[in-house]
Formats: sequence, structure tokens, C-alpha cells
Amino acid sequence: MSGAHGVVAQLARFASALRDCGVRVGLGDEIDAAAALTFIDLLDRAEVHRALRIAFKVQRDAWETFDRLFEHYWGGSGKLERQAPPQTLPRDHRGPLQWKWDGERVRLAAPAEPEQPEGELPGYSPEAVLRRKPFDQFSASELAAMERLLARLALRLATRRSRRLVPAAARGVVDLRRSFRRSLASEGEFLKLARRARAIDEPSLVVLYDTSGSMDAYTRVLLAFAFALRRVVKRVEIFAFNTTLVRATRMIAPARIPQSLERLAAGVPDWSGGTRIGACLAEFVALHKETLLDRNTTVILVSDGLDHGDTALLAGAMRELRARARTIVWLNPLLGDSRYRPEAGGMRAALPFVDHFGAAHNLESLESALRFVP
Amino acid sequence: MNEEIRSTQAAMERCGYIAEPAIATAVYLAKEMQKPLLVEGEAGVGKTEIAKVLARMLATDLIRLQCYEGLDVNTALYEWNYQRQLLRLKIAEREAREPEKLEQLIFGREYLLERPLLRAITRREGPAVLLIDEIDRADEGFEAFLLEVLSDFQITIPELGTIRAEHVPLVVLTSNRSREIGDALRRRCLYLYVEHPGFEKELRILHGKVPGVNEQLARTITRFVQRLRARELRKLPGVAETLDWAQALVRLHRDALDAETVRATLGCLLKDEHDIKSTGEEAVTELVAYASARD
Repeated sequence: MSGAHGVVAQLARFASALRDCGVRVGLGDEIDAAAALTFIDLLDRAEVHRALRIAFKVQRDAWETFDRLFEHYWGGSGKLERQAPPQTLPRDHRGPLQWKWDGERVRLAAPAEPEQPEGELPGYSPEAVLRRKPFDQFSASELAAMERLLARLALRLATRRSRRLVPAAARGVVDLRRSFRRSLASEGEFLKLARRARAIDEPSLVVLYDTSGSMDAYTRVLLAFAFALRRVVKRVEIFAFNTTLVRATRMIAPARIPQSLERLAAGVPDWSGGTRIGACLAEFVALHKETLLDRNTTVILVSDGLDHGDTALLAGAMRELRARARTIVWLNPLLGDSRYRPEAGGMRAALPFVDHFGAAHNLESLESALRFVP
Repeated sequence: MNEEIRSTQAAMERCGYIAEPAIATAVYLAKEMQKPLLVEGEAGVGKTEIAKVLARMLATDLIRLQCYEGLDVNTALYEWNYQRQLLRLKIAEREAREPEKLEQLIFGREYLLERPLLRAITRREGPAVLLIDEIDRADEGFEAFLLEVLSDFQITIPELGTIRAEHVPLVVLTSNRSREIGDALRRRCLYLYVEHPGFEKELRILHGKVPGVNEQLARTITRFVQRLRARELRKLPGVAETLDWAQALVRLHRDALDAETVRATLGCLLKDEHDIKSTGEEAVTELVAYASARD
């Protein structure tokens, strides 16, 4: 009896260690695992290993962690003292937080554009001014107004029809099942046939966001853009990258952009540092292409393309993206400057694979980019 | 190893499936714990085959639900045979039957078209093997629906009432990971990840499935494919490709590999233009030399 109890306690410790290391294991899985152990030969370590991996539903990418912890907890030597489990995801706080939001103005990183006449022109609504104004000259209240505008814009996203059929009013194929149901109300007469038509597809979106120093001035607005998209598109994944790739989707709450930005800045190592676009994209492709990219996915890359890394790597990753995703949109804030030519090595390597290469320095440019989002 | 797992493994092998201990353990546990088995892995590693072999092993029916985008309840669960019902009503107009009787008649079982899920739970003779293939291709909404069926094994049809499973079927779900399967569904299943087979296993599969191949060629083929998988490729060749290739070589009456034959038949193994281009003359020569080396 105490033996069985020992195994269960051991299992619970093991599960909690797995959780600490980021392997998603629920209580239900623990119960499954305990049940599985009753069917197998407990003296055969390899078999316990196999059974636990099956019952805990450990996915392929977590096998290394699982194996390491299994070795530790089911080592067979009887020593079960609990050591601090190795930390995954070490949070790097060294990153210099150069990005500053003083409540008034975003710190300027690029030389300001020549001032354009604004506001005074007759017939110019404040919104129209807002549309043309470069992001790096925005004040706090303007930013807030802009975010509201963005949220509205994103609602206009075009959509695609799926192959799934859903009830429709007057078009599509006849739905016999519903027609029959409906005919009951009129004593079996088919007064009106029910129909089904192809559903509107829900697009999915992957935003890969460059947080390097050269992008500082645009960060807030472009993230607001990503948030706005998140409100209307159900499946949005946001990644931040500079020298490393960080999945940022869960770090941000759409309602609170300043707080989210702070959390992001803390969670993303080397915020405002240099960029290795190629390496980060290659990592994204290697880790997430199976699950995040499909025929409905639009990939939005927000970066100035100033890569400090290997351009061949970047081209390879872009090719892979191209093969998987539906559309690739590259937004480059520098494109707003008429003197800019996309000649940086990284940018040139990536361009052949991009469906839409657009500016992202003001709202108007974002608006035009939206046409390419699903 | 547990005796029963060993016998499961042996039984699978008798039915033509070379199962590693991990696969045999998963199958055994799924059977004993009456839980669905979710099988993931790259294309061509034999995920679907597991369900087929299971059905053969248990001498029962394999009921297959192929998932695709747009799959809905009408095709997965049941549908009334409306045309037949209408015809019956037409006939009934001349018969002057009691309306209740008529209703009972046209909403009887014989007017019901059973689709795979319903068929799987109504099989009388014993538990069936239900294969839900490529679940990642179906919409996420369908997954939620499946969750309900897989947890209760009962289906409610308004006109007929609730149909409970006579025998809980053995469920195998496969996924190519073209999208991530929802956590809820994953939690309900046991999980097996199938990798590309190792050398010994692939060699045995080859001998089992392509009887005409001689020992030396089989070894060479297997070594070649194993080495090929270590290269940077977009689509790694699966076991199915190895078997195709072996068949092709047998048909061409080749007893040994040479670079020319390999280049001519590379399309059996690599199904991606980029991969074929990147496996150029030099690479093929190197691979052939490696594969043909005597042990």
C-alpha cells in the first residue's frame, strides 16, 4: 500500500517538475499517468519511461526536458531529494531599456522629417492630419486617438471564404436537413428551402516584430497596430525579435499598451539592441512552421531590414515562409523617407519573397498595407 | 517488459507492422485504458498504418473518418435519407395510414444514413477501430464536437433519441501537425509521437513489404535513405518512399546502387523540387559510396 502511495507521490513530484520546466502537464494527465503505471511492469525503467511519455502527452519538442527530468526523478538509485529544477526561459534583465515613454513623446531615434503643413489646411479633419503625420512625432493624446482609429481600420479586413458550409439566407446549396425541419411548421410543405453557403474564413496572422534600437521610434504605434489586428483576427501570434526570438503573444494585453510595452521590454532580451533578422526568422521557421503557418496565414514582418547577420540565412528562412504562408507583408518604417532605397543586405535578400513591401511610418501607409492582410 | 506489451508487439508484427516498444506500449495502454490514441509524426512514418494493423490484429472493422477542411456533422455523424423519406411519403399518400405509424416508419433506422462516427459506436459485433485521419485538416470547431463524442460515446438524434455505444470503439487519431491540435482534445487522448524508423527497423519493414529485394540491396537502400534523412531537406523521405523506391529498383532489376540509377529514380524518394536540386551529383555519389560500403 505504502509502495503504491510512494509511486503516486513520486509521480506528482515529477509532474510538478515538468510544469516548472514549461512542459504543459495537467492534473488529468497525472491521473492518466498513474493509471498507465498500473498496466505496466514498474521494474522496467525503459517501459515506465515510454508509458509516462505517452500518458503525459509529451510533445516531440519537449522530449529532451522530459528525458532529463525522468533521469533525475526515476533514476532508480532511490535518491529523490528535490533539487531546483533547471530553469528554462531565463529572463534576461540586462537589456538596456533605451526605449523611453515619458508620458508626452516617444523618444526620437531618426532625424525628424521636414515638417509638413498640417492642421491649418481647410477641410482637413484631425483624423486626416493624423493619417499623414509620421509616428515619431506623435504626442500622447494623438497616440491614443491613433490607436482608436487603428482599431476601427482593422475591422475592415477583407476575408476569404472557407470550404465549410454554414446556414445562409438566400444563396448556396439546398440544406435538406434544415428544410425538413422548417417544413414542420407548415405541415410538411416546403414553403422555403433552407440553404447553406461557404463560410467566411477566419484568417490567422503572425506578426514578427523587430525591437532593435533602429526601430524605437515606431515601436509603440506599430505594436498598437498589431493589437488592433488582434482584436478582429482571432488567431494572432506576435513575436518580437532582435538578436533572439521571443514569443510575445502572452506578454501583452491589448487594452493596456504602455504596460504591455514595459512587460515586453523586460521580457525581451536586448531590447533596443542590434538585429539578427536571419537567425531569428530561421528560428521561427524551425520552431513554428508546422503549427503557426498555413494557407490562411498572413505573415507581417515589421523591420527596417538592417541586418547584422547572415543574409543567406535570411533568404533561406524567407523562402520557407513563402512556401508555407499565404501572404507575406513587410512593413518598413524607413520606406517613408523618399531618400531611402532598400539596399541594406538583409532587405535585398528578403525582397524577392515579399508580396507586399510597404512603408509603416504613418497611418496612411498602414492603411494601405491592410489591403494585403487576409 | 510487461508480458502483454510484448505480446501486443508480437501480434502487430504478425499483422505486418514492425512496432517499436514505444508504439506497442501506446497501443496496449490505449486498449486497456479505453482512451483514444493521438498519433503525431512526419508524413510517411506509418501513423495511419497503426490503426489498420490494430483492426487486423483485433479482427474487427476499421471505420475511417478522413478529415478535411469543411467536414461537418452531416458527413461525420449521420444524415437522414431524405430522398427515400420523401418517396415513402408519396407512397403513403395512397395508403391512408395512421400518421404516427408513418412518422415512426420514416424516422426509423433504415432511413438513417450512418456516417463513420455513428457507425463506430453502433457496431454490434464488438468494438470497432475508429480511425480519425488527419484531424489537423478539419476545422477547430469540429475538434470541439469530436471531444464530446469521444468523451461520452453517445450521440443524440432528435427524432430517434440517444444512441449509446454498444461497445466503446478503439479510437486512433492522426495528425501531421499542419496546425496545433487543441489542448482539450490532446488531454483526452494518449499521445504517441512516431519518428522515422532506425536502420534495423526500416530494414525489417523493407523485407516484410518488398519480398523481391535481396539482402545486400535492402541494406544498401536502407543505409542510403537513413543517410539521406540526415541532410537538410524540406521534406524528408518517409518509409512509404523507401518502399516505393525499393519497388522501383526491383522492377528495374538492379542488384546494387549506382549513382546513375539513383539520379534517375530520385523522384521516388524526394518529392520537392528544391530538395532534388540540392541533392546534386556530388551528394548522390557520396551517398552511394556510403551506402554501398560493406559492413
